Amino acid sequence: MKYRSLFLKIFFCFWLAAAAMIGALNLMLWFSFNQDPNPERRRGALGEALNLYAESAVQVYDSEGPQAFEQFVNRSLKEAGTEIELFDGDGKSLTSPTPTEANSVATEIKQTQQHISHVTSTGRMTWGRPVVAPSGRVFIFVTRLRQPYVFRGLPPWGIGLSILAASVISYLLALYLTSPVKKLKSVVQSFAEGNLDVRVAPQLGGRHDELADLGREFDHMAERIAALISSQKRLLADISHELRSPLARLTVALELARKNTTGKGAAALDRIEMESERVNTLVGQLLALTRLESGAERVPPETVALEDVVQQVIDDANYEAKPLHKEVRVLELAQCVVRGSSELLRSGIENVVRNAIRYTAEGTAVEVTLTTRLDAAVVTVRDHGPGVPDSELQHIFEPFYRVGEARERSSGGVGLGLSIADRTIKLHGGSVRAENVSGGLLITIEIPLSQSPVAAKPAPEKIPVA
Amino acid sequence: MVSVLLIDDDTELSKLLEEYLQSEQFELHAAHDGPGGLEKALANHYSAVILDVMLPGMSGLDVLKQLRQKSSVPVLMLTARGSELDRILGLELGADDYLPKPFNPRELVARLRAILRRASATGPTAASQPVHMAGVDLHPDSRSVTCNGKPVNLTGAEFDLLYSFLRNPGKIISREDLTQAALGRPMSPMDRSIDVHVSNLRRKLGPYDGEQERIKAIRGSGYVYLLPGEQQ
Repeated sequence: MKYRSLFLKIFFCFWLAAAAMIGALNLMLWFSFNQDPNPERRRGALGEALNLYAESAVQVYDSEGPQAFEQFVNRSLKEAGTEIELFDGDGKSLTSPTPTEANSVATEIKQTQQHISHVTSTGRMTWGRPVVAPSGRVFIFVTRLRQPYVFRGLPPWGIGLSILAASVISYLLALYLTSPVKKLKSVVQSFAEGNLDVRVAPQLGGRHDELADLGREFDHMAERIAALISSQKRLLADISHELRSPLARLTVALELARKNTTGKGAAALDRIEMESERVNTLVGQLLALTRLESGAERVPPETVALEDVVQQVIDDANYEAKPLHKEVRVLELAQCVVRGSSELLRSGIENVVRNAIRYTAEGTAVEVTLTTRLDAAVVTVRDHGPGVPDSELQHIFEPFYRVGEARERSSGGVGLGLSIADRTIKLHGGSVRAENVSGGLLITIEIPLSQSPVAAKPAPEKIPVA
Repeated sequence: MVSVLLIDDDTELSKLLEEYLQSEQFELHAAHDGPGGLEKALANHYSAVILDVMLPGMSGLDVLKQLRQKSSVPVLMLTARGSELDRILGLELGADDYLPKPFNPRELVARLRAILRRASATGPTAASQPVHMAGVDLHPDSRSVTCNGKPVNLTGAEFDLLYSFLRNPGKIISREDLTQAALGRPMSPMDRSIDVHVSNLRRKLGPYDGEQERIKAIRGSGYVYLLPGEQQ
């Protein structure tokens, strides 16, 4: 279990809260009942009632005789479980037999002429006071009753039991609260990994609380996202098909026309071919860009040897650069493994390299390096071209952004290559940035290295040197 | 006239292509949906099939899968540009080559001719000696291959690729040469199909004992077929 997991947090919070409450309650009660310096005051009404009780008992004895008193005593014993003993002013018992405890209290009262209360550990209280009857006779009244308000603190086993109960309840509560969160997490994770069919509801059982509501809301959201993505994918496929079908026919018709044309007509046909090729490229790039931005394109968790990808891009790019009297040169090519799609990465890097070929001056080389820095693979592409005004550097990754209208047009670009590169690399968790260096533009691509050691290529075997 | 079947739902394109291919000495027959195309392809002996991946009713890949169960007719696949997955899947399912759509018909003719040339050059008439090498037996006559005694089912392109490798074991063969040998046409820029064929072949043959790969990529140069224990 994670050190900072919600489960542990809830468990400890509830446990601490329960423990603190038990402790505080214990202390509070103990203080309020046991630490008051005047025991009579905290008994309040009870003391008052006992006084009245004592007076009426004495009155009964004094005016109605021992017989009536006997009845009075028996009645109170039967109804309230209260034992009453009466002593005369010398401490001689008038009822019999008397418990020793009552005797000793009576003796004490005789000496102090104060009312006294003793409480035993079982909560039984012995209370007594001297009473002067209306006739002037002095009695000592002692009663033993159940003490209702005394709290002597929890015994150690009680505290232990409370803590155990608090632990069990906290554990169950934490489990109850976090288990749906855990399920939700696994579902969200699976959804994020591209499993668009996964739903929370079947795992919730009969729950109907806020967490279950959250799960159901997630399901609604998942439903909508899945529908959106599938319609987006369908739309992309439709656009691709609908735009390209006329282009395909156009190309065939063009070649048919070419077969029957010579001279000036052929030049016009060349132009038509070039323009239709441009529209085709544009459609392709727009689709690629839309796919990248819509989330319809997902990065597969494959491992890719980036040096191979870069080398392929350079081989292909050289193929195109040679006729333009330009060159693509590798200055450094480190081995590094990243995670993602080699096709997407290739198209991303290729767009940057092609852009560089377009702008580098004739007779110069585009310089490419692949190095590693901490946890990222770094690809740099440097051209020897006009560069980009500093104020426009941050915009060159925006779709259709043009630096210097006329020049871009003549170079044949449509202004989407760098956007595609940017989105592709971002999709892989990396970044692309551009900066001016002396006599050219330097584009730096960073892609996080794969953490998985499985993917790493085995190191070349070391040959022992004799 | 060479008869070729085109399976594409675009009827207008089919007509245009028919006219164009006519002038290039091809007789084009057209089918406009998957099941119909499959039926036609199986019922008649075409020299080659041009198959669009995006078909109504039944995807071109499904057509290819079913076609390959019964027929080894050369298949040229038309894929949407940018749809790398279709292309790779198509080549894995046994297509001989692919062309992104929209294509230049001149290119289509070039690819068709390449496929046909290869199909006829490596037909039963071009008999030559079987090759035995490190567990792999290749019989050019029957175009069959066994690896460690077990038959390996290779497509035409993969077979030609393996044949080139086995004739030059331990030597680096450039991707251009391999493309020429396996696909019968020169390599074009941004063309990755040879890599797909090589990785299919590698997967089908499996590594040597001890995890050593049979075919190694040499960066910037091409591929080399290694013998067991060989380090390059």
